[in-house]
Amino acid sequence: MRKTLSLSMVVLGFALQAISYFALAAPLGTPTSPAYADPRLPFAPLLFIVGVALVFLAAVVYELMPDKNAK
Amino acid sequence: MAVQTQKLPYGIGRISGGWLLALLVALVFTVFGGYAYAQQLIYGEVVTGMRDIGTMAGAPWGLYIAFVVYFEGVSFAGIAVAALIRLLDLDHLKPIARMAQVMTVIALILGGLGVIADVGKPGRAFINLLKYARPGSPFFGTLTIAILGFLFGALVYLYLDGRRDAALLAKVPGKFQGFYRWWAAGYQDTPEARERHERASFWLALAIIPLLVVAHSTLGFVFGLQVGRPGWFGTLQAPGFLAMAGVSGLGHLIVLAAILRKVYGLEEQIDIAVFRWLSNLLLIFTAVYVYFMVVEWLTSVYSANTAEAQLLNALLRGEYAWIFWLSVVSLLIPLVLLIGQFATGKYRIGWLVFSGVLVNVAAIGKRFLVVVPSQTHGSLMPYVIGSYSPTWVEIGVVLGLMGLGALLFMLFAKVFPIMEVEEV
Repeated sequence: MRKTLSLSMVVLGFALQAISYFALAAPLGTPTSPAYADPRLPFAPLLFIVGVALVFLAAVVYELMPDKNAK
Repeated sequence: MAVQTQKLPYGIGRISGGWLLALLVALVFTVFGGYAYAQQLIYGEVVTGMRDIGTMAGAPWGLYIAFVVYFEGVSFAGIAVAALIRLLDLDHLKPIARMAQVMTVIALILGGLGVIADVGKPGRAFINLLKYARPGSPFFGTLTIAILGFLFGALVYLYLDGRRDAALLAKVPGKFQGFYRWWAAGYQDTPEARERHERASFWLALAIIPLLVVAHSTLGFVFGLQVGRPGWFGTLQAPGFLAMAGVSGLGHLIVLAAILRKVYGLEEQIDIAVFRWLSNLLLIFTAVYVYFMVVEWLTSVYSANTAEAQLLNALLRGEYAWIFWLSVVSLLIPLVLLIGQFATGKYRIGWLVFSGVLVNVAAIGKRFLVVVPSQTHGSLMPYVIGSYSPTWVEIGVVLGLMGLGALLFMLFAKVFPIMEVEEV
């Protein structure tokens, strides 16, 4: 459970980073029009940071969460 | 140092006259910085020396940004050394791992505060950056990776690495017992718990190394990707930033280790082998940076570009010459000293501390020269040559940040062991 949860957090964190960077923030390209300047979803950069934080938090969960068979 | 029954190690909780005096000095600097920043908040950035490029013949990035880059650089070596100790099993360097981690966290906080000091409306700037930043912009990377991501990663690393010590200290009755219990978060010093921590810290260290390379390269890209700015646009900015980050951070770490060694009487734990390792690493980074610096000059000297030549002239003979030559000399003297120590195999802590201080003088100078002259002298537009001089407000804020850094470090050292605690 502990390993699964922390691994899921890592996967989710990286996925959130990739999605927010490539799909939700402003499209990569020359900003000749507002379409390339404005994010497709406001606060997409914040989601990217949440993704980074999630990856690191996985280590905290991995260390702090008790084992299933622990007393 | 083993945990005694009633006494906490490394002077935790014990206030000496010297510590109080140092704290007072740091506090005075911090309060002065706060007062200076209050002036900026009340009257606006007109109280600083920063002005627009071109029509106002100034530089919108000045001392604040130079120090943001400097603090970010200092943070690099701390976490890099801590991660390398874990990845390469450099056990003899463990005594400096904690102080390196704390140095990183504090330097990143100061870097973040430096950004806040630089922008006129910090609240609005941060919200807009989180809301609208474009992934293609290096500012996106600077905020998300260099400051927030890196700071979060460094905090997690410091927290997890300190749990075992917190659990040991929580056994000693005292005013910080509750704090140690919270930090330990149920840690039991069993072989399973140790193995789990070893595994987690290994993967964390492995994740942090590429992150910090990306973070500091991104900071270099903030300047290196600006096509219309002679002196900035170039491929060497990112690796140059990385190399200088190593130089300034290692210099800082050497000075810090020497001070703590003296203050806490840690001659046995932080022995000459630790300094030898740091010295050789500093030698490598300094040599690499000097090489980058020479390559950069030669490219500018040989280029027929008028704007590049104008900029170089300002650096070599113009108004920035004294900072330029001071920085060069402050790099070359330590380089000669470090080579000498490496060649003879005789390492002296005094000379290393001297080198550590000098490379930081060079780092501050070089950061200033990277940030400012390209704005005042490096325009491709037909603008007049500009100038920039920091006002007392900017100098006060920077001194305040340095005071705050010292204050945070001293306070941390009084509530948590600055080195790993041995068995009870």
